[in-house]
Amino acid sequence: MAATPGGFSGKVLRVDLSTGKISTEDTVEKYGDVLGGTGLGYRVLWEEVPPGVGSFDPANKLVFATGVLAGTGVPCNGRTAVTTIFPTCWPRQLVGSGHMGGQFAAKLKYAGFDAIIVEGRSERPVWLFIRDARVELRSAAHLWGTGIRRASLEISQEMGADCVVAAIGQAGEQLAPMAIVANSLSHSAGGVGGVMGSKNLKAIGVQGSGAVKIAGDKGEWEKLIKFHLSILGGNNQHVVPSFPTPQSEYYNPGSRWVGEPGRRWGAAEPPVEITGNIFDLNRIAYRTNSAAFFLGEGAWRHTVRGNGCTACPIRCHTVVKVPSVAAKYGIREVAQNTCTGLLFGRSFFKRLPGGMQGQAALEACMVGMHLADDLGVWCNYGQLQRDLQKLYYDGLLKTKLGAAEYASIPWDKYEAGDPAFLFDILPRIGERRGELGQVLSQGTGGLFTHWSIPEETWARDHNTLYWKQGHPKHHANEDDGQCGVIINTQYNRDSQCHSHSNFVRNGLPLAVQKKLAAEVWGSPDAVDGVGNYTPMNVHKARRARWSLVRKELHDSLGLCNWMGPWVASPLKERGYRGDDSLESRFYSLATGQKLDREALDRAGERIFTLHRALTLRGMGEVDLRAQHDLTPHWVFADPSGAAPFSKGAIRMDEADISRGMDQFYEVMGWDRATGAPTMETYARLGLKDVGADLKARKLVPGDPA
Amino acid sequence: MNAAESAGPTAALTEATTAALTEATTAALTEAAIEAVRAASREGRLATLAEVLAALAAGGHFGPPEGQAEGQPDGQAGNQPEGQAMGQPADHAGPAQAGEEAAAPLASDTASMLPGIPPEVLAGILAAQPDLASFQSLSGQTVYHAPDLLSRTYARILDRKGSPLVLLAEEIRANSRDYPRPVPVELFEAPPFGLTPEEIGHVLQALAADPAHQDITFTTTPAGAVYLFSTRHLERGYAAFLAQRAESLSMNP
Repeated sequence: MAATPGGFSGKVLRVDLSTGKISTEDTVEKYGDVLGGTGLGYRVLWEEVPPGVGSFDPANKLVFATGVLAGTGVPCNGRTAVTTIFPTCWPRQLVGSGHMGGQFAAKLKYAGFDAIIVEGRSERPVWLFIRDARVELRSAAHLWGTGIRRASLEISQEMGADCVVAAIGQAGEQLAPMAIVANSLSHSAGGVGGVMGSKNLKAIGVQGSGAVKIAGDKGEWEKLIKFHLSILGGNNQHVVPSFPTPQSEYYNPGSRWVGEPGRRWGAAEPPVEITGNIFDLNRIAYRTNSAAFFLGEGAWRHTVRGNGCTACPIRCHTVVKVPSVAAKYGIREVAQNTCTGLLFGRSFFKRLPGGMQGQAALEACMVGMHLADDLGVWCNYGQLQRDLQKLYYDGLLKTKLGAAEYASIPWDKYEAGDPAFLFDILPRIGERRGELGQVLSQGTGGLFTHWSIPEETWARDHNTLYWKQGHPKHHANEDDGQCGVIINTQYNRDSQCHSHSNFVRNGLPLAVQKKLAAEVWGSPDAVDGVGNYTPMNVHKARRARWSLVRKELHDSLGLCNWMGPWVASPLKERGYRGDDSLESRFYSLATGQKLDREALDRAGERIFTLHRALTLRGMGEVDLRAQHDLTPHWVFADPSGAAPFSKGAIRMDEADISRGMDQFYEVMGWDRATGAPTMETYARLGLKDVGADLKARKLVPGDPA
Repeated sequence: MNAAESAGPTAALTEATTAALTEATTAALTEAAIEAVRAASREGRLATLAEVLAALAAGGHFGPPEGQAEGQPDGQAGNQPEGQAMGQPADHAGPAQAGEEAAAPLASDTASMLPGIPPEVLAGILAAQPDLASFQSLSGQTVYHAPDLLSRTYARILDRKGSPLVLLAEEIRANSRDYPRPVPVELFEAPPFGLTPEEIGHVLQALAADPAHQDITFTTTPAGAVYLFSTRHLERGYAAFLAQRAESLSMNP
């Protein structure tokens, strides 16, 4: 791939913490074929981190990589992938990525860098100062021991207000596998904070005064951005509002597009009332209110505004103000986050006074954000909280934990649903205090090992939502039948894929979804009604493949796979079609290198296959089908004994899923028996060298073991 | 292309009127009629033929109407309550006829309003507009709207607001049929439905007692939330599953 005049900033920054050496290399020349983001991270790990290196080994590398479209005007472009040997992957640490939004990606590119490769280990705590081409390692002695907020503030004061800081808290410093790095205070990448801590890297502060150049015609560029805005829905590309409105034929009470005219951001000063046409492109930011969606009607009066990432009009990080928590708990009355971050505190509790959308739930969310976003504790997509519930309510903790420590924990508050319980449990985890803090900070796999709990105990219990390798399901059969199951088998952590779930949850009637499915994936049978699943077919396999490829594409372009892809839209005049070629059109205009949809998808497939190759090499096992692509038992069971494919059952049929894996491997060009890519597939994707390396290791199908 | 589209507005005019109108006048009339419907849609209202005629008269297209019937609109359309079309009685009688787009018989007083402009001529003009839609309201009159400003779904809701029983039954059926899903009972408390819990309760009791609405029923989630659905389109077990799923969405980020 030749150097291009646009999109890429052009340089990758390499920082060796062991030697203090700082260098740069050309992005396009070395990494152009994998675009950036996870693609760049996988490539670095493939070339530079030998199999068997542990997460906290100095030989492990940590790659902060944005993408071609980050820092441009493309909507939803604020993503940074943080790729490394993932510490919570169990029982063997393998490749994985955390993903953060915020303003870090754009600032890094404005400073002239597409990515930062962090390697080695500093002898003393440091933070990385980046002001355009000026890059320095500075002492973090005064920051060590502080939370993310304090560290970010101190560095901001040192650098200036226009910087962005990505920092770890005490959890990362303590090498907790369950640690985050967060930029812009609430935008976190899970699971990688401990790797930063292991390298004695407290934070990265970035200031950039440059810009991202666009190679193509500026008029075309702006026209395409306007078009993209026109096909946006609300949060997670829910293209149907949650309420009937004159502007829309459809509505869906379950939609995350909750911003209805007449609603008020009641805690704004002065309060803001949502007015006007909700389809107006200048009013997109009013559509989403994560707090109201997750916490109910009452959250509107606590809403200050929506916050979010660079160039993203969705604003999914809702800023909420709850004055009562300042007096009651002595914490800040303002907090912001979305999804599991927003619900961090609430999710610990099985029961809360007033229910899961009541005042106690709101306060638990505020306390949770206050603590977790400062200590830098990761929730592993809610698995941390479910683990504690399982341990406690199944009586495991009482038998596993020393009596004195058990007695020291205010379980009465836990059972009563008192948010004050979080002031005990979260610092234990973040600071790794006591046996419970140590264990929970390791993640689910860590607790299996530490307490000799068979993985089966979790994998057979639907309530745990545990999937495999220490991680939970992430939009699996409950949302999307076989497609969701296949996607959840593929990664070394929770799949974090939204390509499929954003489509099935978009709110359009099933007939419209099926019409779009026929156009995009070749058959209306590529999509089922939720809980009305039909046996596996090849169109579902193609959709699973498309979903995964688009996820990697987004992660590598700097786009948000929580918001995209955009194959459906709110536009009746388009028959509710979005645009399946949006990414390639943006890529072509940004870089000046024309790639059609198929060609760019091939890059996404290359990146996904690189992840597969890293997994093969890391496991030293060719039979990923049997050893890696696993589905937990609970997926095949129904509490009421309902048969597979009966209406209202989400349970899957084991033989059908096996057929599904056959079909998925086939559409991927992987060996059906082992689920490993063939030499032909590596060659087709420009990964001959990768295939050759794996062949030498006897990790290509057909080789004698 | 349907017959009306192929014929075009001019062909819809009667011979006598065509002779009386120039092409320019016809174009202006058509434009003004469309705008009258769009104006009503913009304000969240359905337009009757009488309202459109009145708007044309108010716009000076054919001079002031002579002998305007008592109680007929005078162009001040904004005074009507939301959801009630001009000239439409507040209490609807008779069931909705789902899916109809045909014109209903014109009211005699409408016909006498502007003797120089036969209402059927105007109806023909409006029917020929691809960007406008019409349906027979619960009152029996044909009502018009611009779907890009006032969607078909919303238009039906507005039309049925005067008859909460029909409103709930048809909305529940449509949700069960199209998406498919049961709907939370609280849906009908929020705009544009705007019913009180007491009103909803009364409607549900009436539906339960009405042989024509025996398909309308409910399921209660383990957390106690009530979801309404139609057994014509959703099996009970599946509706219960979908209700639980809907309730769980805010716990499944």
